[in-house]
Amino acid sequence: MGQGLEESVTLAVERRNRNVMTSLLASPSLRLVGKRLLMAVPITIGVSILTFWVLNLIPGSAAQQLLGAEATPEQIRALEEQMGLNRPAYIRYLDWLGGAVQGDLGRSYVSGQPVADQLGERLVVSAELVGLALVCSLALAVPVALLAAYRPNRLFDRISMFVSVTGLSIANYVLALVLVLVFAVQLAMFPAIGYVPFAENPVENLRSMALPAAAIAFPLFCFYTRFLRGDLVDQMQGQDYIVTAQAKGIGPWQVLLRHAFRNSSFGLITVVGLNLSTLIGATVIIESIFAIPGLGQLMLQAINTRDVMVVQACVIVFAVVTVLANLVTDLLYAVLDPRIRYGSS
Amino acid sequence: MAAVDASSASAVLDAAPRARRAWARKLGLYIPAGLVGFVMVACFIGPLVLPIPAPVGGNVLDSGLPAFSPGHLLGTDPNGNDIFSRILHGGRASLIVTIAVNVLGLAVGGLLGALSAYIGGAVDTVIMRVLDVLIAFPSLVLTLAVAQSLGPSLTNTILALAFFSVPAVARVARAATLSLRELPFMTAAELAGTPWWRMLLRHIAPNIAPQLITFAMLGMGIVIVIEGALSFLGLGIPAPNPSWGNMISEGQASLSATPGLVIWPSLALFITVLAFNLLGEALRTQWSVR
Repeated sequence: MGQGLEESVTLAVERRNRNVMTSLLASPSLRLVGKRLLMAVPITIGVSILTFWVLNLIPGSAAQQLLGAEATPEQIRALEEQMGLNRPAYIRYLDWLGGAVQGDLGRSYVSGQPVADQLGERLVVSAELVGLALVCSLALAVPVALLAAYRPNRLFDRISMFVSVTGLSIANYVLALVLVLVFAVQLAMFPAIGYVPFAENPVENLRSMALPAAAIAFPLFCFYTRFLRGDLVDQMQGQDYIVTAQAKGIGPWQVLLRHAFRNSSFGLITVVGLNLSTLIGATVIIESIFAIPGLGQLMLQAINTRDVMVVQACVIVFAVVTVLANLVTDLLYAVLDPRIRYGSS
Repeated sequence: MAAVDASSASAVLDAAPRARRAWARKLGLYIPAGLVGFVMVACFIGPLVLPIPAPVGGNVLDSGLPAFSPGHLLGTDPNGNDIFSRILHGGRASLIVTIAVNVLGLAVGGLLGALSAYIGGAVDTVIMRVLDVLIAFPSLVLTLAVAQSLGPSLTNTILALAFFSVPAVARVARAATLSLRELPFMTAAELAGTPWWRMLLRHIAPNIAPQLITFAMLGMGIVIVIEGALSFLGLGIPAPNPSWGNMISEGQASLSATPGLVIWPSLALFITVLAFNLLGEALRTQWSVR
């Protein structure tokens, strides 16, 4: 009898495990990954075609830029031929695509260096900037939003909402200049421009990153705070599970943190993911103001020198990051929220 | 009798905060609307009626005057141009770009999104995939490239920015139209044999207008900032013509010596964006759009 019971338990466990396996394989969220990954490919190719086409519209080629204003048309033509710029645009594009698929992004027209090498160095710098800004803004926004939502329409809530609505109306380049004016010029606490690699001097690195990261982080902080506070208040007012939790006698902070915040975090994740492409746009300007050798600065320089190879690579990196961020957002959503069943039924 | 008294008393007690709330909401709508109107009047009519010098072609002898100098309310820039005049004229350029971009974006994006949702099927898929490509693009990045390829000018700035406001508007319009499609009045109109263009103009457009207009108000703030960014990077309104972006950019060079060159246009930019954002928010509450 005892044995039989044990047997049935193992059987049940086995069956449950099998069910878990099969359901995982056939799970809509996994199928969603496949579908989204497949969709990311044409989107990335579309972006690269668009970039190539737009850059092709820019009058003046890289050869002309390299030789300067005094170059004769013959010289320009000769260099264009040498660089392969005289071939039709679609041939050049297919050539580039062929290389890119194999991981070869070509060589910069201006420096002659492989684009991938330049890109690697720059990507680290930009990633540090964006990462710092994202972490700082979220680390501040979550507690502020929770405090504000704990007692809606009270003093703290009003102040935080005023700050975030005001902060959202400040352009990041204006904020950057104000920060420079106050913290670099007046108080001399941080360097106004420049960048020190982390490996060289971690403290100086953080000091050089403080103002640019703050210029990106503050508008983000305002945005996240406003969003999260609004969502939390929506949850707290009139959601059945909140009433249930309160009726069970759970304390107000517990309800806010363990119940409402858990639900609101889904929305926050989506907003953070969708916002990433705006963030990338911000780095272009902020990096140029603070002379930080990141991806945005590289691209701006490359646009000015008609270095199509470099611009193309930068834009592709930006696009891939955006597409991946959207993908990860959707996935997190599906993983965290058991109710979400994409494409099922 | 007592019961009647009690209920009427509580009604009176209830009415007071409700009336105050209604007032607060009205103020929340009128103040930003008034501010937007004020900025518009100042930038479009101000330069015509106020006794201020031209924004360009100033005398170098007048360069770098401090604020409240005679004849120059906010002083002059290093080229001897009146800063106040440049702010008004620059604001005019910024507002023209912003309004034009949003009108273009609303018209093209709204039409694309509504049509896409209304027709559905393969057309919908194709339009949405093309817009996906545009949305996957960091908008500022391609705007830079477009602005560079077309060359800096007012019209080209408008075109470059409009190109990127279209997909976002189209998405909003599509989502709004999709939620309308199954409603009984749409079916009734269709059964009555209404042609598609009439469906679009008379039935869909009025119903998705609140969402689109709210979105456009918030978009105004965004476009004005991006226009400033383009000018800031030297790819927007070409110097010597003023725009808030290129004024801030020019002032950046002498930030520590003459912060006023950066602060005044920044302040103008901030107030305008804040007004549009608050107006957008107020309209959103008014029409209870999410």
